[in-house]
Amino acid sequence: MSAADLDLMEAHKRELGELAKKAGALVSGVADANAFTAAMEGQRPGELLPGCKTVFVLGGAQPRAGDWASPSYRHMETTSTSDRVTAMGNRIAQHIERRFGYYAVTIPPGVDRARRPFLNIALAAELAGCGSPSLAGPVLHPQFGFMYYTAVLTTLPLPVDAPLSTPACPAPECVSMWDELGTTPCMATCPIDDGGCLGGKLEGGRVKERRYDVARCTTRVQTSFIPGFQKALEAVFDEPEKEKRKMILYSSQFTRTLWSMSYSNVSQGQCFECMRVCPVGSTQRNLL
Amino acid sequence: MSNLAELVRAALAPDAETAIAMARADELRKLALTSGVDVVGIAPVERWDEFVPPGSRPYDILPGAKSVVVVGVRGPSAGAWQSPDHRLIEMNGYDFANDRVIHLVADHIEQEYGYQAIQAPGLPVGGHQPAFSMMLAAVLAGLGTRSFAANIILNPQYGLLYYSACLTTLTLPVDPMLEQDVCPAPMCVQVYKAGGRTPCQAACPSDDGGCLHGTIGPDNRIESTYYDRERCVSRAMNFGINSFQKALEQIANEDDDERRRMMIHSDFFTRSASAIAFYKESVAQCFECMRVCPIGRAERKLK
Repeated sequence: MSAADLDLMEAHKRELGELAKKAGALVSGVADANAFTAAMEGQRPGELLPGCKTVFVLGGAQPRAGDWASPSYRHMETTSTSDRVTAMGNRIAQHIERRFGYYAVTIPPGVDRARRPFLNIALAAELAGCGSPSLAGPVLHPQFGFMYYTAVLTTLPLPVDAPLSTPACPAPECVSMWDELGTTPCMATCPIDDGGCLGGKLEGGRVKERRYDVARCTTRVQTSFIPGFQKALEAVFDEPEKEKRKMILYSSQFTRTLWSMSYSNVSQGQCFECMRVCPVGSTQRNLL
Repeated sequence: MSNLAELVRAALAPDAETAIAMARADELRKLALTSGVDVVGIAPVERWDEFVPPGSRPYDILPGAKSVVVVGVRGPSAGAWQSPDHRLIEMNGYDFANDRVIHLVADHIEQEYGYQAIQAPGLPVGGHQPAFSMMLAAVLAGLGTRSFAANIILNPQYGLLYYSACLTTLTLPVDPMLEQDVCPAPMCVQVYKAGGRTPCQAACPSDDGGCLHGTIGPDNRIESTYYDRERCVSRAMNFGINSFQKALEQIANEDDDERRRMMIHSDFFTRSASAIAFYKESVAQCFECMRVCPIGRAERKLK
């Protein structure tokens, strides 16, 4: 690539970054499509978009400070989703195609076969330097903490960013807590050995080992989503008594499950407790 | 709109009124195009009289309606068309941008011009028939013509588009309907003459398990079309309301507890439920007749 081409690609990257911010993103970055060596077969960028050169990652649509401050935990369950950030991704993809003339495709937030995502968006965010994996699971940005991410695959050869040199997790406060108590805020709030989902070890101020009970977490995070619906449906068909079956179908739990499914954009996640206690990005959540 | 403005308008000569109407039409076009749609067309309500029964005309839905503003937006990105994973285009095919923009148009008409405006109802409310056909609206607003491929309305520049319409009591200058059919494209006529099928019919032939058939007349125009809608629905909506209903019926009819449990937690049922939940990303799951369509292909060829 000539110097002029490089300058042009730098300019394109700046333009996309500005558009992303204008659309509401907090962060953006570019990952090399060939860097997804840790991805599963079928989930690498080039397998989804032939000739894919880069992956443009956007992060944002995080719960607002007011959302975190609400004493009603159900409030955040119904307002915090990946929908907004996916819409931003669509805007970026459209801009790449219509302004620069290169192919672009947004990775959908749902799951493909066997409940696998189309692309590991967390890995994309990590490779694009938009954050780093955490003990709690979500990719955390050093300044903003928890947010939602989306990824746009493109044949546009943008200059790529590097992963963060210093991971956002564990935060210094968490290292101190580990040294003193042998746990961190997220692990303490949802301990895997006491009915929770998270476990692990720190060593030298870094994450040494991580344990995560995804099945248990799903039952909490998606209480009223598709898995909850399937579970309730199973209970309905297993129930021989007509009156009881009617009670299940018209129950608050089943009604709410149907609401959360049909209005999925307002009810994807139903547990934020490990993020609530996370010090990374906590200053963003403290407002007047 | 203020009374003063109305008085001023009333005092204006007919030519000036025409100029105002044209300026408004231009303003609405600009608003829609800068908000994300690809095409805009305007039709007078009288054009519906010839094609639809009473109850389905614009002025049956909005009394006093004079004009229908129709917008069209491209669905899948060119990148999504390129992906070898067909599931990606299924999930990314459509994001309802046309609906969002039509609300902006309706808001603008009501708030800036003081005329009534509503989004035309596009979803079925009884049976499988929509209350208002967006396909017909697109044709009558001069944005496209019907095609061999499932009767999809093809725009001459973009091919497949998704349409929304706004019904309004505002009288606007109208667009002519297209004089020339978009389908069949010259290339398709040649293919038909050589092999008896157009590309879309060859991709999904009704006499070989597919959905499409049709003939081209001596004038190189569509002579007849056949579209197996039921078969198409079973493919285009593998994971949606239809498959969910079908699977639910099978689950309800299954007497064996273990088998029923397996069906409820199966990959297929999970994806059907997911398609309903993420309905915005999973409206259609078959684009094969459009994939081979030459109309709008230039718009899908990028670097």
